[in-house]
Amino acid sequence: MNIRSTRFGALDIADHMILTFPGGILGFPDWTRYVVLEHHTEAPFKWLQCLDEPDLAFVIMDPALFKPDYRLSVPPDALGEIQSSAPEDLGLVVILTIPSEDPSTITANLRGPLVISHRTRLGKQLVLPDDVPTRYPLFSALTPIHAEPNRRQWQPVASL
Amino acid sequence: MLVLTRRRGEGVALGPDIRVVILDVKGGQVRLGIEASPSIEVHRDEVYARIQDENRVAACPRVVPVDAFHRLARRLVG
Repeated sequence: MNIRSTRFGALDIADHMILTFPGGILGFPDWTRYVVLEHHTEAPFKWLQCLDEPDLAFVIMDPALFKPDYRLSVPPDALGEIQSSAPEDLGLVVILTIPSEDPSTITANLRGPLVISHRTRLGKQLVLPDDVPTRYPLFSALTPIHAEPNRRQWQPVASL
Repeated sequence: MLVLTRRRGEGVALGPDIRVVILDVKGGQVRLGIEASPSIEVHRDEVYARIQDENRVAACPRVVPVDAFHRLARRLVG
């Protein structure tokens, strides 16, 4: 399918690359279809672009890359919603919050991770207990950062 | 909004599968018991709202500090 995105222009997305969040992402219940866009560099983050709303996109990252001790168990209702029970099918990412006034203070929402089944292509945002931070600082040391505007060099990928 | 008055030990049925029971009322706090199938998500509403708010802030970032991510990647590799 061909879709239009505000950031990345026109994208041609194969059906097997589409991720569906049946319940939406919290706060955006009306939009359920997304695609992961990967950068052709070593930058360890990806985009989650909404296919139903061209302007909606999140920056996502594998939490194991910056918080190796991050552990959670996926509750049965979530496994039912994504129609998967095999741990090897599941991928886990967290959404990053990047303040435009100071991009160096990026935080990761560890309380609302996204669990995605690679087999069924279904995903769900979990809600973890309130002792898990919603704003976990990604960069421990504050170093000067030169922000780059978004570039249209992203490609859809089938896996996370 | 539907408003009902209930006493301790009484409940409210929400459809055929969900029951909310008043377990205790003390000092301005109400203890609720919720009986529902595991497929029903139950959260304190402020926890839910916090994640919704964070998603709205995170949506559509205007700039992404790619340099910083590269430095992070090098630190992870190194």
